Amino acid sequence: MKHASFGSSLAIVLSVAAIGGLSLTLLSSYWIFLLTAVFVVGIALQSLGIVAGRTGMISLCQMSFAGVGAWTTGYLNVAGFPGGLPVWILIGGLAAVPVGVAIGLPALRLRGINLAIVTLGFAAAFDTVLATITFPGQTSFNQVARPALFDSDEGYFLFVLVVYAVIAVALEVVSRTRLGAAWLAVRHSERAAAAVGVSVPGAKLSAFAISAFIAGISGGLLAGYLGTLVSDNFSMMQSLALFAVATMTGAHYVHGSIAGGVLIALFPELMRRLNLPQDLGAVVFALGAVQALSTGESMAEALMRLFRRLFPRAVEAPPLLDEASLPKPAVAETSASALDVSSLTVRYGSVIALDKVDITIPQRTVVGLVGPNGAGKSTLVDAVAGFLPTYEGSARLAGAPLDGLSPRRRARRGLRRTWQTTRIAPELDVGQYVQLASGGVSAHELDALLAWLECPAASTPIAFVDAGTRRLLDIAGAIAARPQVLLLDEPAAGQSYAEAVKLGQRIAEIPSLFGSAVLLIEHDMDIVRQACSTVTVLDFGRVIASGPPQEVLDLPAVRKAYMGVDGEAEAAA
Amino acid sequence: MDGLLTAATAGLSAGGAYAILGVCAVFTYRLVAVVNFTGAAIGATGAFAMVALIEAGMAQFPAIVLGVLAGTLTATAIGVVMTRWFSGATASTKAAVTAALLVGMIAVGLRLTGGQDAHLFPAVAPGSAFRFAGVEVTNAGVLTVILAVVFTFAAETFLARTRTGLRLRALSERPMAAELMGIPVRRLAITVWMLTGAMTTVALIIIAPQRSPNFASMSLLVVPALAAALIGAFSSFRAALLGGLLIGIVEGLASGIDRFSQYRGAVPFIVILAVLLWSQRGARWDEAR
Repeated sequence: MKHASFGSSLAIVLSVAAIGGLSLTLLSSYWIFLLTAVFVVGIALQSLGIVAGRTGMISLCQMSFAGVGAWTTGYLNVAGFPGGLPVWILIGGLAAVPVGVAIGLPALRLRGINLAIVTLGFAAAFDTVLATITFPGQTSFNQVARPALFDSDEGYFLFVLVVYAVIAVALEVVSRTRLGAAWLAVRHSERAAAAVGVSVPGAKLSAFAISAFIAGISGGLLAGYLGTLVSDNFSMMQSLALFAVATMTGAHYVHGSIAGGVLIALFPELMRRLNLPQDLGAVVFALGAVQALSTGESMAEALMRLFRRLFPRAVEAPPLLDEASLPKPAVAETSASALDVSSLTVRYGSVIALDKVDITIPQRTVVGLVGPNGAGKSTLVDAVAGFLPTYEGSARLAGAPLDGLSPRRRARRGLRRTWQTTRIAPELDVGQYVQLASGGVSAHELDALLAWLECPAASTPIAFVDAGTRRLLDIAGAIAARPQVLLLDEPAAGQSYAEAVKLGQRIAEIPSLFGSAVLLIEHDMDIVRQACSTVTVLDFGRVIASGPPQEVLDLPAVRKAYMGVDGEAEAAA
Repeated sequence: MDGLLTAATAGLSAGGAYAILGVCAVFTYRLVAVVNFTGAAIGATGAFAMVALIEAGMAQFPAIVLGVLAGTLTATAIGVVMTRWFSGATASTKAAVTAALLVGMIAVGLRLTGGQDAHLFPAVAPGSAFRFAGVEVTNAGVLTVILAVVFTFAAETFLARTRTGLRLRALSERPMAAELMGIPVRRLAITVWMLTGAMTTVALIIIAPQRSPNFASMSLLVVPALAAALIGAFSSFRAALLGGLLIGIVEGLASGIDRFSQYRGAVPFIVILAVLLWSQRGARWDEAR
């Protein structure tokens, strides 16, 4: 376990233990009973946080998943299945997994809104089914048996607390793994996630599976908590309220899930004491969620921002350069060229964006691709990286054809790209992003690479990094993967002149240090001259020149295309 | 066979209402780029306002007019929230906002209408229109289907043939550009909300007598509505119209068969699953991702 992960896990365990200890010594049984509900709901909120908060999808059927877990628990109780409540709850959670996957499947390739519709439809369907089949033991008043050790209300409170802590720690650990980073990357930009080799469907499905599992567990805990259940406990209205609260408090944070649990479980009690209607809660949740959505910040995030302002965290100094620790080349040198693009043609309707373009990038070289705006440079990157639905012609990576492969497969085979606008998830830190993009380098290699590109320290949150530096991180991530070919789309845009010159030197060194060939798209001709061994010039989708930079860039046709200057007219004047 | 035909025609008025709601959902999405989860709740607000007025002694016709007005006002309020605070937000955020608003609306609606207490919804178009192959076709069924068809073609013509329709299409595709060109973006958006508010209220008033008359279950008619809109891929009015009718008829058929009748509420979900699995066969990367 990494240091940071261990620290926050310890913090979770200690605070949950403190809450448990304080509650049990100070509070009456009545309040202990209410507080148990807070943590049962807290677990349901954490399950929603995985899908909604981390992966950025809308799920409106979380309580239906909980209902599957609760129904299974009730069934195993009536059937007298061996192992008692803990085992039943676990099986209940597992029973919810296939349901979650089945709901997630139709939304794999489409974004949030469709998923919201599917999940709401499922919640409605589950309502009708549950009302018909009823809970096992519901009509015979067959109570779900609690484990002997935790039979009292205090005991069951402890049991729920332990389950809550285990899940919170597990999610904390997962959030720092590649899977956790992949969820955040998918939430922020599916294209960028696929471009670093993340399986977008895999990330979404795993989020749904784990989310359904945890929701199922919360349902099982609720079964043990209440003893008997009715279908209303898991109605669509409950799912909607859970979604509103999760949005309002930020359910993917530990404190957000507890705050949400307090709201859902204790708000009715507060209203009762104030002689106000108890359903006022739903209105408050709705308004709170709308407020959070309009500011783009949940309660948990606002709290963290406040905390950071009061106790600013010392920003770690950028690492020192240690060239010996830089990641070593991982590409086997073959005789074939690194990338062969032949007669690539892309049409948008009747517009021909690329017209039979041929480009070859030899192994371990930097090839420049220049041309005026609209010449088709970025279209070429999109086509080669697999982001266009169709193109004619072919692209071969080290001799192997890429055509028809998904962006993720191309990335995995050793073709990486960067973006003109940065698409790094701001919730990650610098190290997490480079690790996600690279597929794993050692801590020494990471520090050396960050120092080499003059990036901030690995522990710096991306949210603190300016846009220009984020583009460097994009490059750092791509280099760390040590791909066969690296497509850099205007890396120097947004950098100062001095920074751009330095970046040019670094790009020129990439082939020898990391073994990758580079296709460099750039408007800054100083960088192109500095870094590239050959240059290809595009204009209106056609290659108009190709060769060594000093020759090509001075050709009259190139000067005309680029600056609108007619070379001969200039000479005549 | 006769039994099945009876069951299918019984689903006709529900289908017509789903079609109206579905066409409204497409209309809202195409013109103001919002997938509106509060659609049916807006209509339910108007329908319950009408019932309250009738229970207070008002005659049916003015009560209907005022009910439709109440639905229009509710929709306007939501439209103001959406255009004031969320005009620049992503489609996903807007959908989340309406989903959250739905929670609040249902809670308020249940409180004001007395939860599960029954309200007697008067039939707007009672009686039978004609007999077809020995099966009664109700006036309500004919009325909703006609309204749905009229609204579908009116919406299509409006968007394709009028200057305002063209402006509205520009508004949903590039709100910022539309605003810069001097199109009164907010006023047009609010108009769209008002129009759909009125239409959904009419639809819900017609089918309310055949439904369990409580605010929550009427608000949840948004599920078949969105299923219908999904069949039209949130762009085709005609497909949404047919989709809504289809869902209603399949529901009617399901309730005609004893073994399935209790599960008819699951029909829209099955339709949604099928449509999504079918429509995403060829899904590709688009700019939004």
